[in-house]
Amino acid sequence: MEASGRVAAGLEVVCEGLAFAYDEGGRRVPAVRDVGFSVAAGASVALLGPTGSGKSTLLQLLRGLLTPDAGRVVLGGAVPSDEDYGARQREVGLVFQTPELQLFAATAADDVAFGPRQLGRPPDEVAADVARALELVGLPEASFARRHPYSLSGGEQRRLALAGVLAMRPRLLLLDEPFVSLDPAGRRDLAVVLERLKGEGSGIVLATHDVDQAWALCDERLVLAGGELVASGPWAFDDDSGARVLREHRLEVPFLVELWRRLGRPAGAAPKTAAAAAEALA
Amino acid sequence: MKTAIAQYYPADSALHRLDPRAKVVAVSALAIALFTRDSFAALAVYGGAALAGLLLSHVPPAWFWRGLRPLLWLVALTFVAQLLFAPGEAFFSLGPLHLTWQGLETAAFLTLRLVVLVVAGSLLTLTTTPIALTDGLAWLARPLRRLRVPTEELALMMTIALRFIPTLLVEIETIMRAQSARGAEFGRGGLVRRARALVPLLVPLFVVSFRRADELALAMEARCYRPGIVRTRLHPLRAGVDDWVLLALVAGVIVLASVV
Repeated sequence: MEASGRVAAGLEVVCEGLAFAYDEGGRRVPAVRDVGFSVAAGASVALLGPTGSGKSTLLQLLRGLLTPDAGRVVLGGAVPSDEDYGARQREVGLVFQTPELQLFAATAADDVAFGPRQLGRPPDEVAADVARALELVGLPEASFARRHPYSLSGGEQRRLALAGVLAMRPRLLLLDEPFVSLDPAGRRDLAVVLERLKGEGSGIVLATHDVDQAWALCDERLVLAGGELVASGPWAFDDDSGARVLREHRLEVPFLVELWRRLGRPAGAAPKTAAAAAEALA
Repeated sequence: MKTAIAQYYPADSALHRLDPRAKVVAVSALAIALFTRDSFAALAVYGGAALAGLLLSHVPPAWFWRGLRPLLWLVALTFVAQLLFAPGEAFFSLGPLHLTWQGLETAAFLTLRLVVLVVAGSLLTLTTTPIALTDGLAWLARPLRRLRVPTEELALMMTIALRFIPTLLVEIETIMRAQSARGAEFGRGGLVRRARALVPLLVPLFVVSFRRADELALAMEARCYRPGIVRTRLHPLRAGVDDWVLLALVAGVIVLASVV
């Protein structure tokens, strides 16, 4: 791994029979039931599901912030009893929903430096991590490092919070509804950042109910409903099954896929972006 | 999360259904009367009343025990102090320590009185939701309005504060998890390190709370809230026959205790 803090190569994740229930006043409320799947190193996977389907819980289980009641998460071949499992867990970066609410330091640079410092990295390495992370999210150090986090715009704050996670050099990035409550420009800026991370080989798990963003960014999808995994693997729009599983669970079919279907073109080969669609239709 | 404050046991008992004002008055009257008589007979009457309330409330006795537990030290201290320093003829001496029957009696009396007091108080909080309790207290404090005490506003503040306790607990847990994902460690190391570790928790918590308070204030204004105006209620407090029966029973208990 380079000290400059480039995004490191991906991390394979295998979930086996994961189950988790919240304890609410003595009552067990199951949130994730018997979920099993695997995500290849460097893959980009959309975690789709309606509100309350268990997406956030699953992400926290993957990062080890919650301990499963049953099953296990295998990270890069390491199982929970392995000595290096903790180190693997620290290579999983989790960006919470509305992460800008967790900013706390007096300057943007300080906030981003929190993670690497907690990992005990030496100061010069931390400085390099901070510079690199700020650069990655499009907040260049020269103009943003000294700014107070709360003086930034909403979209900038969110990308700053993302930088705080990226500075820890995760090999797998888990994002919980990263586009929620951003304005269109904020969404576009964030999408560009995520595309760049994907291009650099970082694995991404994107929990969202925005299927258009998911389709644009992700090669595969996991569909959760009521805490159970109802679909995994490639999008499967070649036949009707992929569209059906989305509609059955309060989700939509991506716009470009639907457009391709209505044009009578193979929906499985639908373009990922408007530009690609225009090119194909020209 | 189980805290000693504002513990309410949801059930549908006769006591739960009573008007909070009646319960506040009844329990306050009992608590005051409890201290006006120093006889075991009177204490037995009050104890019997508290026990009857406990049985009527449908609340498991363990919940009362939870209220008593924090008082154990106080009880123990009272007991020991009375045992050791009360006057009278010693039946057992060890150096400067003299145990007297009178001391033993006073210690037992004070301890039992404390237990009865806590059980009676718990009856109120266990069978009344914090919101109903606030409403009841606000109504009882109405005479203070003449002295320009903003009782309505204070009651509303109490209600909102109570309403946001669970929300804040969830918020704290989320922020703690999010910061742990960034490598934060809470409750480790020495005092200074622990205090420093709280910064990533407290700063976001304050920011979120202030923002939420601001939004709530705006939303309330948008819905025409104005301080200083007496509002009507969706669920007006209505005293029924049961409530008068309760007050009559309590009056009866107090009279009985003063004649035995």
